Amino acid sequence: MKSKVMPIEEALSVVKDGTRLMLGGFIDAGSPLVSIEKLVARNVKDLTLIAVTPGMSGFGKSMLYKNKQVKELISTHVGTSAESTEAYLAGELLVKEFFPMGTWIEKVRAGAMGLGGVLVPVGVGILDAEGLFPDLEKPKEVVEVNGVKCFIEPALTAEVAIVKAWRADTMGNLEFRGTSLNNNMDIAMAGKYTIAEVNEIVPVGTIAPERVGCPGVFVNAVVQGQKIDEQDELYKSVWLDRGKLVKEDINGRS
Amino acid sequence: MDVREIIARRAAQELEDGQVANLGFGIPTQAVNYLPESVTLIMHTENGAFGFGARPSYNTCNSDITNAGSEPVTLLNGGACMSLATSLGAMRNGYIDVTILGALEVDQEGNIANWAVKRNGMWWPGIGGAMDLTYGTKKIIATLQHTDKKGNSKIKKHCELPLTGKGCVKTIITEKAVFDIDAGQLILREVYPGLSVQDIQNITEAEFIVSSTLKEMTL
Repeated sequence: MKSKVMPIEEALSVVKDGTRLMLGGFIDAGSPLVSIEKLVARNVKDLTLIAVTPGMSGFGKSMLYKNKQVKELISTHVGTSAESTEAYLAGELLVKEFFPMGTWIEKVRAGAMGLGGVLVPVGVGILDAEGLFPDLEKPKEVVEVNGVKCFIEPALTAEVAIVKAWRADTMGNLEFRGTSLNNNMDIAMAGKYTIAEVNEIVPVGTIAPERVGCPGVFVNAVVQGQKIDEQDELYKSVWLDRGKLVKEDINGRS
Repeated sequence: MDVREIIARRAAQELEDGQVANLGFGIPTQAVNYLPESVTLIMHTENGAFGFGARPSYNTCNSDITNAGSEPVTLLNGGACMSLATSLGAMRNGYIDVTILGALEVDQEGNIANWAVKRNGMWWPGIGGAMDLTYGTKKIIATLQHTDKKGNSKIKKHCELPLTGKGCVKTIITEKAVFDIDAGQLILREVYPGLSVQDIQNITEAEFIVSSTLKEMTL
């Protein structure tokens, strides 16, 4: 069987100007950082970016806004990063609509599962208020099912999805660490072409079947990201810098 | 004691042993510092875990164990990771017992607004998981300063900003007072030591009744 492992540049060549792109991660935790860096270097433009939040300032996805590569953002926040905030206020980042997080992920999951959409009761009577989404082509549709008013929320899909996992085997089976599963499995299934960036690539059989967090069937390409030590060091330096982590003194006290 | 500490200390008293809790950033998160020893919570974070604990030390920090602010945390024994979809489903479907949320405005009908303000004439959306949380959580506690910088009441007759949740707030905690909302009525339950009901009336736009068991906050 052909290995799914390929050079990162080759895998990312499917992302072109105007691509509808989904990126896994939660405020850039469990986020495909090396792939994002390569997309910045390639300077692909007019992307429609589907991501749960814009990202973290000075880091990861934020570099895409800074470099003016994102035309439209489909998300649950606009301002988790300084760069997305700036682009939005300058009118350079189109936000037609934004969703409660649970609605957003269910729209992605509907796309992942081959559904047309989902019925969501959250926000009815609030998010359909006049003037809240001035760029919407038509008002949000509401139906009543079993006595509950719900929005009809169409599925979200993408031409390309890039996810991040701890390790992959050459068949594309993915294993996650800690909370970094987040939306990566659902996003992997919602992309027509899915790239998995991982810390480590291992032979088939290394990841026990019951430890597979995302089956390789949903993954088209596996690319090498940062090694796990490099990733830990990078995040630790960012957190240290921002006061989210404190270095112990020589006696181990923080 | 500063205003934030008063609110955090008082909010901590609302939490009960064994509850599944999701605490918003800022004052709500600060409340865990003032929990009595007899109270252990199962902390939920919407990016996908039950049972997270304190910040790790530098040397034990794992870049794949984070909270909803993408900050490093730890996972306690008995903790459990899940997907984002499962985590938000838990919020929507009533698996979270209690939440403490910061608020921009609340009103006498139990409405809460905490996600949208206007900046440069544009709605500034930061909705995240707050709307899912107010939709499904059993007990919602809103924490906020009683008045804005100009002295205007943030406890309104009717919220003016886009709502996060409708008629969902059970308790409002400010640095001056504690209110409950019951059967569509705002009830003054506690006042900051030394303040009178009249003092609270003077800084509160909302209409409220006074509980027959009105007392001073103990902090």
